[in-house]
Amino acid sequence: MSETTMQGQKKQSRLSLRRDFNTMTWVLIPVAIAINIAVGQIVLLLKLPVYLDSIGTILVAVLCGPWAGALTGALSNTIWGVAIDPNALPWWPVAFFIGLVAGICAAYGLFKTWWKVIITGFLVALTAATVSTPIAVYIYGGITASGSSFITAYLLQTGQGVVQAVFSTNFLVEPVDKITTCLVAFAIIQGLSRRFIARFPRPENVEVEAGTNRTQMWIAIGVVVLLVLFAAFMLGKILGG
Amino acid sequence: MHERLSFFVKRDSILHRLNPLTKLTLVLGLILVTFLSPWYWTPEILFLLVVIPLSFLGKVSREFFRAFWRIILPAAAFLFLMQAFFQPVGTQVIFQIWFLDITKESLLFALRNAMRIIVMVSSFTLFLLTTHPSELMSDLTRRGLPGQFAYVIISTLQIIPQMQAKAQTIIAAQRSRGLDTQSSYLRRVGSLFPLVGPLVFGSLVEVEERAIAIEARGFTSTHVKTSLREIPDSNADRVIRWVIIFLVVITLALRIWLS
Repeated sequence: MSETTMQGQKKQSRLSLRRDFNTMTWVLIPVAIAINIAVGQIVLLLKLPVYLDSIGTILVAVLCGPWAGALTGALSNTIWGVAIDPNALPWWPVAFFIGLVAGICAAYGLFKTWWKVIITGFLVALTAATVSTPIAVYIYGGITASGSSFITAYLLQTGQGVVQAVFSTNFLVEPVDKITTCLVAFAIIQGLSRRFIARFPRPENVEVEAGTNRTQMWIAIGVVVLLVLFAAFMLGKILGG
Repeated sequence: MHERLSFFVKRDSILHRLNPLTKLTLVLGLILVTFLSPWYWTPEILFLLVVIPLSFLGKVSREFFRAFWRIILPAAAFLFLMQAFFQPVGTQVIFQIWFLDITKESLLFALRNAMRIIVMVSSFTLFLLTTHPSELMSDLTRRGLPGQFAYVIISTLQIIPQMQAKAQTIIAAQRSRGLDTQSSYLRRVGSLFPLVGPLVFGSLVEVEERAIAIEARGFTSTHVKTSLREIPDSNADRVIRWVIIFLVVITLALRIWLS
């Protein structure tokens, strides 16, 4: 496709656009979009407080690569918006970046054990919160049609700025949803046969490492705790100011 | 159950005979003008004077208004109410319950957003009612869109209803085995996996077979493929497209100039 994008990246083999797409990718994308929509509807039926509407996107991002994941996310939201719920349409950049970030994380080995998957989920949530803030502010003035807008409305009533209120809300809601999504996707990939996974462009993303590395895990848990503390600090500062 | 997710209504009208790309340009143009226009009442005017007449011109007004009352208007009305109540802008309080108040400014703001959504979704609905998805895709492929994209779109539209039917079957089957989908929170979380598992694994199994099947039919071949159906693209189509692009540019210029 575009040679310049490929040359622009230092890690050609890891993030190259062309590597993402083989026939298996093109066949998986429609199935993944349908998985997004069908699982999203099952979750609505079970009345769980999460969306889980990007499991398919994460699956493609991990097995095929960031660009395929991004394409799946964007198409998924567009089709959902046009065919099922019109309010989903403006959010396609969020889904695009969810796929992209999940794919990049997976390409750097963050989808091999459960605790690394949690880190991926956290990073994806952070991206989703950041990208959806300007959309919510510019198109909806902060108040969207989703249930979490009650929190935003409350924060607005306490006298906060729109951007801060929306970002705080997203930051409260997204991590639970995205970490769960990534864990479900991880469980699904673990259930697939290695022969099947080997036909996708990036089977090495999910190869389980021999023996879990304890030190690595403790460092990662420490980093996550620090991040959460930092986030709590920032949130407290935003809420206080 | 529909065979494919499509709103297309087969009629013979001017709108149906237009080239798909012209209609797509028209829809995108309408959306851009709605969002870019510097005047407050543009969405209302466009909706009344462009979208509704087009639905009559396309002979799909009955289906259009059904979709409008059932889907578009409720979604827009909900957004309108949420924004009218929760936007903390403005000082002229018109109406107040509890701590929520509607001000003149928040009312105007909510109306503009709701109308923008209405124009956006209703013009898309009109497009989907008068354009067959395969027709759009084969026209875009002829203009240089990679065949893989067309495959993804068309295939998705076919798979979604199948997947939804499969999900319904799995839910019914697991319930008949006593799966709890209504009681306590933890039970419902627990019942997520028996529902999602079969659905996802079942549909992933088909992926490999389908990949082999389409590869055997020259899916990745880069040769120019011939099409069974020729989609007409008249001079009128070309003129309409350029007029729409011109109008969008004018709106953008006005927006920059007036603000």
